[in-house]
Amino acid sequence: MATRTVTKPEDQTFEQKIQRARELYATGSEVGKAALEVLIRDLKSGTSRREPATRMSSAGRIGNRQGKVSELLVIAPLAPGGAERLRAMLELRDGDFSDTDKVGTVHDMRFLLLDNETKMLFATAYDGDWDPYIDDFAAKIPDGLDVLFGGIWEGWPGIHSPKVKDWIVSHQIPAVGWYVAHPDLTVKDITRLKRLGKAVDEFLDKVQ
Amino acid sequence: MLSLKESAGEALSTPSPALEVSDIQATVLRPRPKPYCGEYVILRVGNAEQGREMLRRILPHVAPADEWWVPSLPGWLGIAFTFEGLKALGVPQSSLDSFPIEFRQGMAARAETLHDFGANAPANWEYPFGTPDVHIALAIYAKTNQDLQEVLDIARKSHHDLPQISVVYRMEFGELPEGRNPFGFKDGLHNPHVEGSGPAPAGTEAQVKAGEFVMSYPDEKGETANVPIPLELRRNGTFVAIRKFHMNVAAFRRYLRAEASSPEEEELIAAKMVGRWRSGAPLVLAPNHDDPALGADGNRNNDFSYANDMKGLSCPFSAHIRRVNPRDALKDEVVAVNLHHFLRRGTNYGSPLPEGVLEDDGAERGGVFLLIGAYLHRQFEFIQSQWITDGNFISHGTEQDPLIGNNDGEGVFTIPRAPVRRRLKGVPRFVSVRGGEYCFMPGLRALRWIADLKPMMEADNVRSR
Ligand code: HEM
Repeated sequence: MATRTVTKPEDQTFEQKIQRARELYATGSEVGKAALEVLIRDLKSGTSRREPATRMSSAGRIGNRQGKVSELLVIAPLAPGGAERLRAMLELRDGDFSDTDKVGTVHDMRFLLLDNETKMLFATAYDGDWDPYIDDFAAKIPDGLDVLFGGIWEGWPGIHSPKVKDWIVSHQIPAVGWYVAHPDLTVKDITRLKRLGKAVDEFLDKVQ
Repeated sequence: MLSLKESAGEALSTPSPALEVSDIQATVLRPRPKPYCGEYVILRVGNAEQGREMLRRILPHVAPADEWWVPSLPGWLGIAFTFEGLKALGVPQSSLDSFPIEFRQGMAARAETLHDFGANAPANWEYPFGTPDVHIALAIYAKTNQDLQEVLDIARKSHHDLPQISVVYRMEFGELPEGRNPFGFKDGLHNPHVEGSGPAPAGTEAQVKAGEFVMSYPDEKGETANVPIPLELRRNGTFVAIRKFHMNVAAFRRYLRAEASSPEEEELIAAKMVGRWRSGAPLVLAPNHDDPALGADGNRNNDFSYANDMKGLSCPFSAHIRRVNPRDALKDEVVAVNLHHFLRRGTNYGSPLPEGVLEDDGAERGGVFLLIGAYLHRQFEFIQSQWITDGNFISHGTEQDPLIGNNDGEGVFTIPRAPVRRRLKGVPRFVSVRGGEYCFMPGLRALRWIADLKPMMEADNVRSR
């Protein structure tokens, strides 16, 4: 996938950005063109214009970060029989990802089969940086990642391989845009807030 | 489902070979003397041949770690090099390139990872820290001032007639009354035990594989460091993260005074921040009152774990010693604590702020730490970024270490209690970073290897071994 250098947003004025978007949308579809005008109107009127809590920044070597949350997306060819293995592994789990729960920093994980089931796309949102913890994963959940990727992705070097970081990075594609509703909440924060909310509810139920 | 392994490297039963202690520098294994004094000296090398000449002269005086557990040496010299320093000495490019990225970049360039923002930013560090003028660091530890002067004299003579070797920094340090740090805590109590290095101290903590602390031995991952190259350079060497801190003792006392309603409560809050009472007695063994006899007893003051305090009611999750050395506190998490140890050589500088004084006298006082380990990235950098300046690993959001976090006056400190926790707010920055460097501390034969590099060898490529 080609990377393009985009003029940094802060180098353009709002009017310049509007003009550029209008020019580009003019040659696109009618629905897109009309919808763009609505967005411009909303942004101008200030109804949806607000300073975002966080902006996309870099997550370590590659990938993006919004506040405390990072994104990772990898596309790699499937090993022969990889798609069947993936399905069998997911069926076997039947939704049980308690091994991932244990990690305590993973918001979601998505597995997609692409191009006639010759490639797998894996996408996840997780807290902080994965790279400081990779050795801990290898030591404490030695099979945690290999069970997801081993035999599925062609060339997955295995979590114990010193090449694993480079392998991931070389297949990773950083998002161009990414929205996170609560960039300030980690999985652990959410767990804590849920517990607190429950306690407050119980208290309110008692005193009502 | 997949189960958590108890500890890293558990499956590997390969016993470490006994360490080559006579090739490892004393500074790596030897605890500071009692009482201690000393000096850190930083040199700049303007000419490679003069730098190597200085090395050749000083080499016979660099102390090995033989019998490090016997407190017999009156004074000793340790020597370490920054990346710039190795360059200045003419270490071949292929060796330089083989060093881990964090060492090549240097501590100042790692500010983002280390959370060195605001007052702690490298821009606010003392000269020459964080500049390319730091090449060689000498650490001299001694029992008396006389011993210190003798070693200093040797250091001076190693370069006094070499005009291209300049002393760019000197700082003295020394023990405070009763072996306390400026905040009033007994320090230097705990260090991990290096497997195969000699007699193990009393305590429940397991030994840690030698390769975590000295290169060329198996580490906790079951691997043996293979960089820097060649083997002659890395054998029995290690890395040192040097951090110089200023301690704002008056701010610490004022904060305790403001948050407590009695002197006893002040002591309790102080202990909750550290995880030990000022005497050194750990909170998990003495939850309610200080126990000076326990604090003074080296056989008992490290013999504890957090297994019976999993709610943090005795020692808060956020307490300094529970963060930086969680022992068994994170055993249910995906964290392999044995990958995150280092040896800690701490020394204090400055005079104590007189008892009872609540106003800062403007004096420089604090501590210099040498944090020693074979992997800066998963040891010092991991602890600093994940455990000291963040709270997510203990479900504490962005709460930082109450004592040494980079708090900006809006810090929070959570003290678990039944039925409701107590949360202190407005925690200021009690310690500021005055400077720091990443250094490589070679073994003695490796020092000789560097000293004997020939100008023509500098250009040669060293093949990977
Ligand atoms: C001015 C800064 C610091 C102060 C005032 C301080 C204070 C203390 C005190 C009072 C203790 C308990 C006694 C002892 O064993 O020495 C301690 C222990 C310790 N500190 Fe620090 N410290 C500072 C910086 C650091 C840094 C930067 C690190 C690591 C990056 C660190 C790591 C440790 C470790 C590993 C222990 C042993 C924990 C245990 O007993 O289980 N400290 N520190």
